[in-house]
Amino acid sequence: MAGVRVGKRVIGAQSPVTIGWENIPRVEGGPVKQFVFTWFQPTMLFALLAFWYYAPNSIAKASTAIGIGIGFKVLLLSLEWVNPRHESWRLTWKELTTDLFYVGLGYTLLRMVDSYIGDGAMIEAIQHAFDWEKFSWFMGLPLLVQAFLISFIFDFGQYWMHRGMHNWYPLWLPHSVHHYITQLNINKGAVGNPVELFLIGLGIGGFFDFLPRAALMAGALGMAIGTYQHINVRFNTPRWWRFLFNTTEHHSLHHSRDFEATRSNYAGSYIFIDRIFGTCVDGEAELLGLEGGRRMSIREQMTFPFTEGWKTLKERLGRPAVAVPAE
Amino acid sequence: MNSRFTDWIWHVSGSLALTSGQSSEEAFARLDPLFRQAGTSHERAADTLTFRKKDQAAQDKMSIFDGGVLQIEKGVTGPVLRYRLTSRALLFCFLAPLLFLAFAQFNIALGKLEKPSTEAAGKGNTSKKPEKKDVVLPQNPIDKALGAPAPEKPKKDGADKEKKKHSPTAAYVFAAIFALLYVIGRILEDRLVKALFRKRLLSS
Repeated sequence: MAGVRVGKRVIGAQSPVTIGWENIPRVEGGPVKQFVFTWFQPTMLFALLAFWYYAPNSIAKASTAIGIGIGFKVLLLSLEWVNPRHESWRLTWKELTTDLFYVGLGYTLLRMVDSYIGDGAMIEAIQHAFDWEKFSWFMGLPLLVQAFLISFIFDFGQYWMHRGMHNWYPLWLPHSVHHYITQLNINKGAVGNPVELFLIGLGIGGFFDFLPRAALMAGALGMAIGTYQHINVRFNTPRWWRFLFNTTEHHSLHHSRDFEATRSNYAGSYIFIDRIFGTCVDGEAELLGLEGGRRMSIREQMTFPFTEGWKTLKERLGRPAVAVPAE
Repeated sequence: MNSRFTDWIWHVSGSLALTSGQSSEEAFARLDPLFRQAGTSHERAADTLTFRKKDQAAQDKMSIFDGGVLQIEKGVTGPVLRYRLTSRALLFCFLAPLLFLAFAQFNIALGKLEKPSTEAAGKGNTSKKPEKKDVVLPQNPIDKALGAPAPEKPKKDGADKEKKKHSPTAAYVFAAIFALLYVIGRILEDRLVKALFRKRLLSS
């Protein structure tokens, strides 16, 4: 495979990828289908923002956000059914069950751990230690600006954490297992080793959650943009959207079997962060995974970072000191 | 306990009548592509095919199964394919509700364990800052003009927050989801694999 030169790098020399928006297929079907899959993403984003902006205080609560979040995921699952991006990414019973197991761990076990050592607990501790009233000017900013800043600060931190994971072996170990997925579906974002999911969930965006409404709007931004990282739906995403926001195209390239392609598109929601730091590649891939697309079982996902780390450690420390005679 | 009463949990078995003229050689030849997937190994001895799967791809049509035996027998009306397949995915899905129920119990235990300390902390808090009650939160003029509701001081109800922190609800919900998924999977995958074999064997 020749690959495509993008800047100084050659992408797609090891596994097929599609580079450039002009080469990506568009939604096929009648005018109604075209319309729906062109306007779905922006409509949902603006509708959600408007809802959180105007909802009375009695409705603008975290429980409402959880309800909307679940409803939104069910809706997206039905879109995956109607208009899959790739047949090979079709959700099967086993894939859905496996994904939901990780989602379940996130809602139960990880939440338990997070309540003690997660960013929420840390932020609370720090907020108690300092006079954070001085930061109350933040509450005087327009709501949308507050919401954007909260989500941007979080995403900016996540970008560097994610980039760090791809560049530093101890962080790569827990993240690597997430790259064994061979298809993108709605709940694939939850698939991974709990250590990694804990690390990627750390963020300092929560420092500025002074107004519940701003925090809820930030959450809506994350949901209406970041969710499309892992989705098996073909959209005619508007140009401005894919310039600013991460898409399933960007993220499929990040999950490709091509090593160079995986070293791109690190941001969660705001792909313009990748554009700023020169790691953005526009394109898509269908063949995903590591080790030629070997599927990793749940058990191995849980133990791999530790067993692999131990192996590496033993290799490094246990190397025989006796020099091998040259022949 | 007789394993017959529990085997159905993770074993899918069934039979399929072949067309009268079909030899076992021909039938297995038709099924062969199903066992030429990544991570799959299979052996054939006369009328029996045994297969194993390891790290099977998500795209594998039989990915839910980890192994099984397919046999072609002579029935009254003609040759019959009998199969017995094993699925760890089904077994784990059957057991998953127990795991989540355990999480729920663990959560409840944690909540009970922490209650005394929270109460003490709560008392300290209420006596300390009663003067902050009537602070009006700022709102940007733009938001006011556009008609967004005025911000409300978040209620700092420590006890309530603590209660939510160790709520077992999510764990119960997931236990129910997996129980439902198991029922769906056991019925659906049984039918899907039968349809898959039928399509391979009977299509012209």
